[in-house]
Amino acid sequence: MAPLAFAALGSAANWRALDFSVSCMNARVIGWGLIVLTLGIWQLVALGEHPEFVLGPAEIAGDFAAALRSGELLPHVGASLLRSLPGFALGSAIGVILGLLAGVARSLDQMLSPLVFLTYPVPKIVFLPIVMLWIGIGDASKIVIIALACFYPCFINAYYGARSTPTIMVWASLNMGARRSQVFRKIVVPSALPLVFAGLRVSLALSFILLFSAEMINARSGLGFLIRQSESSLRFDLMYVSIVAVAALGYASDQLLLLARRRVLAWQEVRS
Amino acid sequence: MSVFRRLALVVAGLTLWELAARSGMWSPIILPSLARIGPEFWFLATSTASLLEVWHSLFRGLSGFALAAVVGVALGVLMGRSAVAAAFLSPIFSGTYPIPKIALFPIFVYLFGIGSLAKVVLVFLECLYPIVVTTHAGSRAVNRVLLWSAANMGASRGRILARVVVPAAAPFIFAGFRMALPIAMIVVIITEMISSADGLGYLVMYSLASFRTDRMLAAVVAISLLGLMLDRLVVILRDRLVFWERLESYYAE
Repeated sequence: MAPLAFAALGSAANWRALDFSVSCMNARVIGWGLIVLTLGIWQLVALGEHPEFVLGPAEIAGDFAAALRSGELLPHVGASLLRSLPGFALGSAIGVILGLLAGVARSLDQMLSPLVFLTYPVPKIVFLPIVMLWIGIGDASKIVIIALACFYPCFINAYYGARSTPTIMVWASLNMGARRSQVFRKIVVPSALPLVFAGLRVSLALSFILLFSAEMINARSGLGFLIRQSESSLRFDLMYVSIVAVAALGYASDQLLLLARRRVLAWQEVRS
Repeated sequence: MSVFRRLALVVAGLTLWELAARSGMWSPIILPSLARIGPEFWFLATSTASLLEVWHSLFRGLSGFALAAVVGVALGVLMGRSAVAAAFLSPIFSGTYPIPKIALFPIFVYLFGIGSLAKVVLVFLECLYPIVVTTHAGSRAVNRVLLWSAANMGASRGRILARVVVPAAAPFIFAGFRMALPIAMIVVIITEMISSADGLGYLVMYSLASFRTDRMLAAVVAISLLGLMLDRLVVILRDRLVFWERLESYYAE
C-alpha cells in the first residue's frame, strides 16, 4: 500500500486515473479489512477493564442469538416494520405521484409546489405530538408522521426528475402522434426514474429515523421501545442486540432498494 | 414562487385553522385558537427563559453541524482527490450510510453523558454523511483542465486543493449543507424529546404532557420558523459566496 500511496501523493496529473483503478480493485478488500480491524480492536478493549455498558462484539453476537431464540426480539422487529413499511409506502407513493404530476402540469405545480417547498425545511418530527393529539397515541399517528416525512424527498426529487425530461424527446414523441398520457408514461416517468429512486432512498433513511424516535418517545412495542426499555432496566445485552437489529434492518432495506433500482434501471448506467 | 403567493398561502392556512378552532367542533385542547397560540408565541419569542431554550437547541444543532461541515468537507475533498483516502474511506461511508445513527443515541448518552455532548455528537454523525457524499462527488467532478493548468503554472498540491478544488466543488458542498441542516434540526429536536431537560424539543413534550397544547403549538411554530430561517441563511450565504454556478436540483436552487 505504501509505495502506491506515495505515488498517488506525488503525481498531480494522474490523480484521477489512479483513483479509479485503486478504488475499483481494492475498495472491497480494504473495506472488509477495516471492519474486521475495528471489531478486533473493540474485542481487545472489551477484554480488558471496562465499564458495564461496554460489550464486546463476540458477546453481542452471542446475546443476539440468545434474543432470537428466546423470542425477545422478533415481535418488536415485526411491530417496527408494521409501522415503517405502511408509512414509507404511503408517503413515498403520494410524494412520487404528486411530484411527477406537478412536474408536468402547471396548474398543480402552482397549487402544490409553494406549499411543499415552504414547509420542506421544517423538521417534521415536531408534528408528532400534534398528530398524537389528533388521531391518538397508537400506530396510526406513527404511520402518519413517517408518511409525512417520506412525502417530501419523494415529491421534490420526482418533481425535478419530471421537469428535467429532455424537451426534444417530448417534442419528438408529440410529433409522432403520441397522446399526452403516452408522453407521460413513456417519456416523463422513465427519465424521472433515477431521481425518483434517489428520493426513495432518502425517504427510506428518514422513515427509520422517524420510526425509532417515535418509538423511543412513546410506544409499547418496536425496536425503539426495546432500546429505551432495555437501557432503563440496565439490560445492556438487549440494548446492543436491538441496536444491531436496527442497523441490520436499515442496511437490508437500503440494499433491497438498490437491488430494485438495478432491476428497474437496468437500461441506465447507474452511478452511486 | 412569488412572495405574494407564499404570503397568501400562510394567511389562508391561518384563517382555516382559526375557523376550525372557533367552530366549536373540537375541544380547545385538541385545537387551540390562534388567540391563545399567539400570546404564547410572543412569550416564547420575548422572555429570556424561553429564549434560553431556543439557544440550547440552536447551539446543539449548529455546533454539531459546524463540526460536520469542517470534517465533512475535509474528508470529502480528500476522498475526491486522493486514491488512497478514497480506497480507505468510501467503503466505510457507503457501508454505514444506510444504518440509522439515531439508534446509537442511548450508547452516546452512556459515553458522553445526558447533557449537550451526546446530542452534538449525534448531530455531527448524521450531518457528516450528506456533506461527505456531496463534497466527494463535487471534488471528483472538477474540470481536469483547471487542475492541469494550475499544476502547470507551478501551484503546489495544497494550493490546488484550496484554490481550485474547493471552489469548484463549492456548489456541491452547499447542496450538502442544505441537506444536512434540516437533518441537524430534526436530530436536535428528537434527542431533546427523548432525553433532555431543556431545549425546544423538551418544551414541546413538556407542554404536551401538561396539556398546554397552545404552548406546544407555539413551540412547534418556533421550531418550524427556525428551520426555515436556517435554510434561508444557507441559501443567502451560498448566493453570496458561490455566485458563478448553479446545479440543477432543489438543493442548489
